[in-house]
Amino acid sequence: MSRNEENKKFWLSLDDLKNSLNFAKAKENEFAEGMTEEFNLDAQPSHSRRKFLALAGASAAFAATACTDYRDKGEIIPYNKKPDDLTIGVANYYASTCTGCSNTCGILIKTREGRPIKIDGNPDHPISRGKICAAGQANILNLYDPERLKEPLSGANGKFKPANWKNIDNKIIEAMNKASADNKEIAIITHSVLSPSQKKLFEDFKLKYPTGKVYSYELFNDKNRQSAWKQCYGESNFPVISWGDANVILSLESDFLGNEGNFVEQIRLFAGKRNVDDAKNFNRLYVAEGGMSLTGMNSDHRLRIKPDAQFEFVMSLLNEIIFVRKVTSTTLNPSLSAKIGQYNLKGITSKYKLSENVLNSLVNDLISNKGKSIVYAGDILSEEVHIAVNALNDVLGNNALYNKERGNVKQMPLSENAEIESLINSMNGGNVAVILHFDTNPVFHFAPDYGYASALKKVPVVVTMCENENDTSVRSNYVLPIHHNFESWGDFQTRTGLFSLQQPVIAPLYNTRQKESILHLLIGGNAENYSEDGYHQYMMKNWEQNIYPSLSVASDFRSFWFAALHDGVVNYKAPAQTIGEIYTSANELLHYPDSKGVILMLTRNYTIGDGRFANNGWLQELPHPVSKVTWDNYASISLNTSKQLGVKIGDYIEIKASGKKLSVPVMIQPGMADGVVSIELGYGRKVGGTVGSKVGFDGIQFISKKNYTPMLISGISISKASGKYKFASTQEHHAINEPEVMEFHKQRSIIQEGTVAAYIKNPDFFREGKPKIEDISIVNRVQYTGTKWAMAIDLNKCVGCGICVSACNVENNVPIVGKDMVKVGREMHWIRVDRYYSDSPEEPETSNQPMLCMHCDDAPCENVCPVVATNHSPDGLNQMIYNRCVGTRYCSNNCPYKVRRFNFYNFRNHFADGYYNKDSLSLMQNPEVTVRSRGVMEKCTFCVQRIMEARQEAIKNGVPLKGSEVKTACQEACPAEAITFGDAHEKDSPIDYIRNHKLGYHVLEELNIKPNVTYIARLRNKAAEGQS
Amino acid sequence: MSVDYTRELSVIEGRPTFAEITDLISKPLETRPNKKYYIALTISVTLMLFGATCLGLTFVYGTGMWGNNNPVGWAFDIVNFVFWVGIGHAGTLISAILFLFRQKWRTGIARFAEGMTIFAVMTAGLFPLIHVGRPWLDGWLFPYPNQNSLWVNFTSPLLWDVFAVSTYFTVSFIFWYVGLIPDFATLRDKTVNNIKKVIYSIVSLGWRHSNRHWHHYEMVYLVLAGFATPLVLSVHTIVSFDFAVSILPPYFVAGAVFSGFAMVQNVLIFVRKIFNYEHIITLDTLEKMNKIIIVTGSMVGYAYAMEFFIAWYSGNPIETFAFVNRAFGDYAWAYWTMVSCNVIFPQLFWIKKIRRSIPIMFIIGVLVNVGMWFERFVIIVTSLSRDYLPSSWGIYTPTVIDTGILIGSFGFFFTWILIFIKTMPVVSIAEVKSVITGGQPTHHGGAQ
Amino acid sequence: MENRNLYSVTGLFDTPDEIVQAVEAVQKEGYTKYDVNTPYPVHGLDIKMKLPPSKLGYFALALGLTGAIGALFFMWWSMSMDYPVVIGGKPFFAFPAFIPVTFEVTVLIASVGTVLTMLFLYFRFPNLSHPLHDTDYMKSVSNDKFGISIEAEDSLFDVVRVKKLFEKLGAKRISEINFDIAELNKKPKIFELKFMVFLLFTAIIISGASYFTLNKLLYMEPFNWMMEQSRVMPQSHSKIFKDGFGMRNPVSGTVARGSMPYMFAGQPDIAGEKLVNPFIPDEKTLTLGKKKYNTYCSPCHGNFAKGDARLNGQFPNPPSLHSDKVRTWTDGRIFAVITEGQNIMPSYAQQLTPDERWAVILYVRALQRAVNAKEDDLK
Repeated sequence: MSRNEENKKFWLSLDDLKNSLNFAKAKENEFAEGMTEEFNLDAQPSHSRRKFLALAGASAAFAATACTDYRDKGEIIPYNKKPDDLTIGVANYYASTCTGCSNTCGILIKTREGRPIKIDGNPDHPISRGKICAAGQANILNLYDPERLKEPLSGANGKFKPANWKNIDNKIIEAMNKASADNKEIAIITHSVLSPSQKKLFEDFKLKYPTGKVYSYELFNDKNRQSAWKQCYGESNFPVISWGDANVILSLESDFLGNEGNFVEQIRLFAGKRNVDDAKNFNRLYVAEGGMSLTGMNSDHRLRIKPDAQFEFVMSLLNEIIFVRKVTSTTLNPSLSAKIGQYNLKGITSKYKLSENVLNSLVNDLISNKGKSIVYAGDILSEEVHIAVNALNDVLGNNALYNKERGNVKQMPLSENAEIESLINSMNGGNVAVILHFDTNPVFHFAPDYGYASALKKVPVVVTMCENENDTSVRSNYVLPIHHNFESWGDFQTRTGLFSLQQPVIAPLYNTRQKESILHLLIGGNAENYSEDGYHQYMMKNWEQNIYPSLSVASDFRSFWFAALHDGVVNYKAPAQTIGEIYTSANELLHYPDSKGVILMLTRNYTIGDGRFANNGWLQELPHPVSKVTWDNYASISLNTSKQLGVKIGDYIEIKASGKKLSVPVMIQPGMADGVVSIELGYGRKVGGTVGSKVGFDGIQFISKKNYTPMLISGISISKASGKYKFASTQEHHAINEPEVMEFHKQRSIIQEGTVAAYIKNPDFFREGKPKIEDISIVNRVQYTGTKWAMAIDLNKCVGCGICVSACNVENNVPIVGKDMVKVGREMHWIRVDRYYSDSPEEPETSNQPMLCMHCDDAPCENVCPVVATNHSPDGLNQMIYNRCVGTRYCSNNCPYKVRRFNFYNFRNHFADGYYNKDSLSLMQNPEVTVRSRGVMEKCTFCVQRIMEARQEAIKNGVPLKGSEVKTACQEACPAEAITFGDAHEKDSPIDYIRNHKLGYHVLEELNIKPNVTYIARLRNKAAEGQS
Repeated sequence: MSVDYTRELSVIEGRPTFAEITDLISKPLETRPNKKYYIALTISVTLMLFGATCLGLTFVYGTGMWGNNNPVGWAFDIVNFVFWVGIGHAGTLISAILFLFRQKWRTGIARFAEGMTIFAVMTAGLFPLIHVGRPWLDGWLFPYPNQNSLWVNFTSPLLWDVFAVSTYFTVSFIFWYVGLIPDFATLRDKTVNNIKKVIYSIVSLGWRHSNRHWHHYEMVYLVLAGFATPLVLSVHTIVSFDFAVSILPPYFVAGAVFSGFAMVQNVLIFVRKIFNYEHIITLDTLEKMNKIIIVTGSMVGYAYAMEFFIAWYSGNPIETFAFVNRAFGDYAWAYWTMVSCNVIFPQLFWIKKIRRSIPIMFIIGVLVNVGMWFERFVIIVTSLSRDYLPSSWGIYTPTVIDTGILIGSFGFFFTWILIFIKTMPVVSIAEVKSVITGGQPTHHGGAQ
Repeated sequence: MENRNLYSVTGLFDTPDEIVQAVEAVQKEGYTKYDVNTPYPVHGLDIKMKLPPSKLGYFALALGLTGAIGALFFMWWSMSMDYPVVIGGKPFFAFPAFIPVTFEVTVLIASVGTVLTMLFLYFRFPNLSHPLHDTDYMKSVSNDKFGISIEAEDSLFDVVRVKKLFEKLGAKRISEINFDIAELNKKPKIFELKFMVFLLFTAIIISGASYFTLNKLLYMEPFNWMMEQSRVMPQSHSKIFKDGFGMRNPVSGTVARGSMPYMFAGQPDIAGEKLVNPFIPDEKTLTLGKKKYNTYCSPCHGNFAKGDARLNGQFPNPPSLHSDKVRTWTDGRIFAVITEGQNIMPSYAQQLTPDERWAVILYVRALQRAVNAKEDDLK
């Protein structure tokens, strides 16, 4: 007690000296009510003086050290006024819509502190169901692309100087007024119009400027399909197909799993019918194609047939089914029947050396699955084929599979070639005063023989709205920088009964404007009253007045609107589409050329769209799902054709077609039909930025307005040209180079497969006759109790699209290494999709296998790291400590799966002189993932940052962590739902179930390193041989 | 067989007096070097600087400057490391193992071989340090208390290397230095130049040739030899663990000795010419070395054959392929270079004429070294480029920098050698004296 | 006349045989303090000199064992006691994997140790001031002669006798070795100015160099410690934006997932009608409410909502929340106040999420109830 007295003394002594009145007062309210309840003097430690001295000493010491310059960690910059509902360090999600192509998928944008860092599908979107394509994932790189236009430019023939918006707006408005005054055309060239509000904007534009016209085009379009449909059913909207109900699918030169239509949705529905626990209902995929497409890779039976033989093929099928097998549910137009009568299956079989067994079983399957099968022709095929296919589907009663509820919606049909041609004529005639390129690049996309580029010279005012400089912008007078997807407002409708909304997630990074607002301003006709919010208001008004009332919803508009933005979608009941009787006569089918000579096939590419993503390194570096080539396109030909030409992979060939020449390196592609050359379009941009320029070869030059089928050019000549080219491929082409190693993946049981029939007969067939691997070890191993993370990949569902790779890149700050580095095998992808060919290079059987870190229990990599930079976490993660890594690369050498990636350079610096080291990119990096430096090993972490987030949440809510609630980036992105992740020790969790599945296996089991990624063996749904 | 070991032959030809020996051996240290020497020095220093430049570039920009890639994480860097460690082994073998076997003929070459060991190990030691991605963190490879309170991973073969190589270097160095002390003393008492005298006095620690010292000295020398022998075996065994192939260790050691002897033989041929030591480093000695080269060479050849047999016999398709791929895969050329240089050419040494002909044995020696370098290349690069998963197979092509560093390593090595032969007695004065005829009391079974 | 500085008398011989005989003789004479210097170890001399076998072998053994045990112990301690990490599923003490290092350390310690013992323990090296140094005697024995030196300290020593003995043995050259007086009286001058300056100089150089290396050089290219990350962390700066804020504000009019905007800005009464409390006053909600209330509300409203601020009049005290007005307010109405604030009270929308606001309201209700309870509460 006495000691405390002393303490009191000590504490108060200073003040006790002066006992003045005001001091007493001060004392009074120092101990005001409720102030010092918890403040108990006696509770103070007795020796606080010494403590104090110690502290003083310490602080002095710190002060001293502070004087020496220690590393400055930068200042802390909080929000001035923290936005509501935003917690620093916690992600916010915004529902929006992707405008990367015309599928308008719903997306969910993950933002941290108001910066978008990751894109995924919007789970509430009935079409995309939380999935988007690789481009959609990587689109975020375009937002932060250092080469985005940052301010408006004005100038001529390629030389521009910065200008300010107001002047440019005035000039354009002036020009437009003048144009309408002296009755010259004002043309807007846009891509397909998908947005009701945008459509209304165009209408307003036409009202304001009577001479205004709107042209829309797509490089890759389904015009043939649509017009064929019109021929058959009178209305021009080809219905949506409910793939999920199809037991048998015959795909003709169509890559519906790879890049045609809304392939993300199609993969989901297709894979949905490949559930091993419901093997009886597996769908069977027949593919008849000339190229080797991703769809072809996943086929159960594949027929190699030239695209120009497809018509005969379908007709003979019709003949076989109607006249030979006497199956029909509809009466066809007699002339058509007559025409069909001219073809027969036997003839085709011998003419194109097709397998009779396959054809037999195909016909049988189609017949036995009447109304449950679908025949689907590719966009590039001619109208005739589509008509024939419609007829075939009709005959088989497959109309049942047309989804009547969610039909396609076209806001505006694409312009016909004739319209484009007349536009160009009037341009040349000097009758076009103003051209607005509405985020389009026609100079690159239009068939060269339109002579668009030269026609542009005759137009006084050419305005190009674009994010990055492109082939068209350099030929214009005004270049207006526009918002990126994630900075824009918008509303979209591509399916009946569904609107999809788009909202910005970050204020414009640069001095840009949304293209709609620009047009809106031009319509307004006064450069003064621009407001960033303009189009937002316009759109809301449009909804409030036109759309909202028609939906007849209960709640008031504001709450409806906010709810819509919140969900990102508006569902409503729409009248079902009606499909009438098919009426088509033979006269639409008259002029179809017979197959002759070598044919050139211009196809879609898998990554960079119609070239608009050319400046996106992530997409350029995404391996081609079939050939695994990055940063390039090429002419793929079959092995036989290559032998005839005497060329090897990488040799140049010269392609001559109607006066045009292109010399391009060849890729000998197993599974190609002989006499077919196929080139993917979208590559070969002349003006495409640092990353995108001069990547690949421009095949668009072969498109001709004269061609009946623009993408199929027959009667071409190919010859060996001089020169050798090295592809930057992530996988070697042993199938061709070393046939003797072709079957290795089977011998080493890396790929283990079976057939559905065998599985149904005996579900244990897979396990039987396999040696049991005993756990031999000279020391007793660590046992993992408690949480243990594991993954499973269902190879039945995986189609090898590579979306997981793209998602992983974004989530984990994976660097772009560039073409030269991929060439020497230094790509950094944490997850890769391995592709193996079996059987012959002519008729290969392909297998896909996503390969990532297996997080082995007895990981060989850990044993050899001299500095314990890689080791095992108690919950079974093989973890990598970047800061500890000195970079001996020993772990990578010792990894049997070779999934470790080494930073041979600081790649961000090394690629194009630090192109991806610019400041804007730092905004994109996931703040939860270390940005690895040079000389450090890295690899898949099972998205440990997500695991930690989940654990944090669980602890906060005081509940045990449920492994099944953690989703890795690849899993979240996989449209086929092939990936399962979770805690292997969580009873009856999906992962627990799959790990013990009868079809489950581990790659390189015999090494006994206990990998934790389980693969579900692929079952091929082969038809029983030779039934008829 | 030319030499009959039942009878101790004179190791030194002729009958030089003790004084003559001293003069002869210390001559290079007291005379100015001749033109030949300077030419040699210029060349090797140039090579060394070239290598240094390449190294600098690697340090600044990263290991990307090399050809290494994803499947082939190790290539020239570790190949060179193993190659040089191998070279080192001959020295220890000659000075330690032959010493234990009382092989008197070693005296002429022991000192030099030991020196070579040290320089070879120094050269080898560079590579583990520079091959890492962040060389400035090499310190982390050693277990020292640090602010992360992290220790190293004692289960990693690479860490075993760190210990093995540093131990090996230290022990060889001490072995070599202990041998030098008496000679330094001799030189100290011989030299007239004051600076030299100071230096020699310091390094000879005040040795007095006292027999009370010789007494312990010989014991310690024996002990060291006893330690060095298992050490040299262990070092290369451990190095071979880096590549985790079960049958490697024994033949790795054989290979090491093999290449080491070839290197010693090569360099000695020059040394004895330049300093006319023909009668100290005699043709007989060289011939004996060539015999060892045949033996080890055949052991290596046997191992190559055995590898194939085991691979086939094990019936493990993956291992079988690994070896088939060596012989017929992308790197077949490397494999056949290795086989011809290591197995076929050395067989010529069965012919006595060739065994005793300086130029031919020199050429074969060079070939053996080439072959041994390629052996390491085959083991490391070929195996890595064709791993378990065909999907991750890759090809390694060396860059200029790679080759530059390889060349530089030779420059480094020979620069040291050249400095060594001009500054220290390349032949052990004391030992030679002790083995010449009349070097030992007649009624004590010494040399006769 | 006796020479005080005499160290020893030496005799030189030409051949190993002579020296052997000489040693025998000297031994017979009974001298103990003598030494034989030969250019190389002459076999058999040690036997003649009756030298006990060297003990160094045992040292080697002992040192080797220490090394082995030390290494093993250290590995066990560091890998399973001090910082245990699971590596490749191995147990913390993976003995087989420790063998190589153990072996290497054994050899290292043993060999280095033995040599050092010999040089510094046995020979007392370095010793450059031994009287024999720089004598003709030493010069000859280190080249081609064999010599004996009998030290003056020997009990039987006598210059004349020794010399006679040597002559009898036929020594070629007999000479006396004296201590070097200068050498003996030499005092090393440590505090010499030159030396001190030199020390100072080196100190400055070293400290300067290490400062530069540790604080500057190591943070230049290409050295990389992954401390500067090219990613924007929370509350950090960003060069991209003019205002320099790395953290951005959401665009107005957008709606993030799980957060609907507040609809009744400026219309608290409508809010009062429209909004309903989604929670019921259960344990969980009330604890949350209490926590939040005490954090954000109590400073002004007081711990019991009596309006007794803790701010001692630096700030006008708010009215009590037990007033009829507040008690009759609907939850929605209070929600509006918390969200938007009123009079001098600011909005707490930033601090409290909507759920937390509702929880706080429930807690306030509980307080109100506590202050003036109803009849039925007693039951």
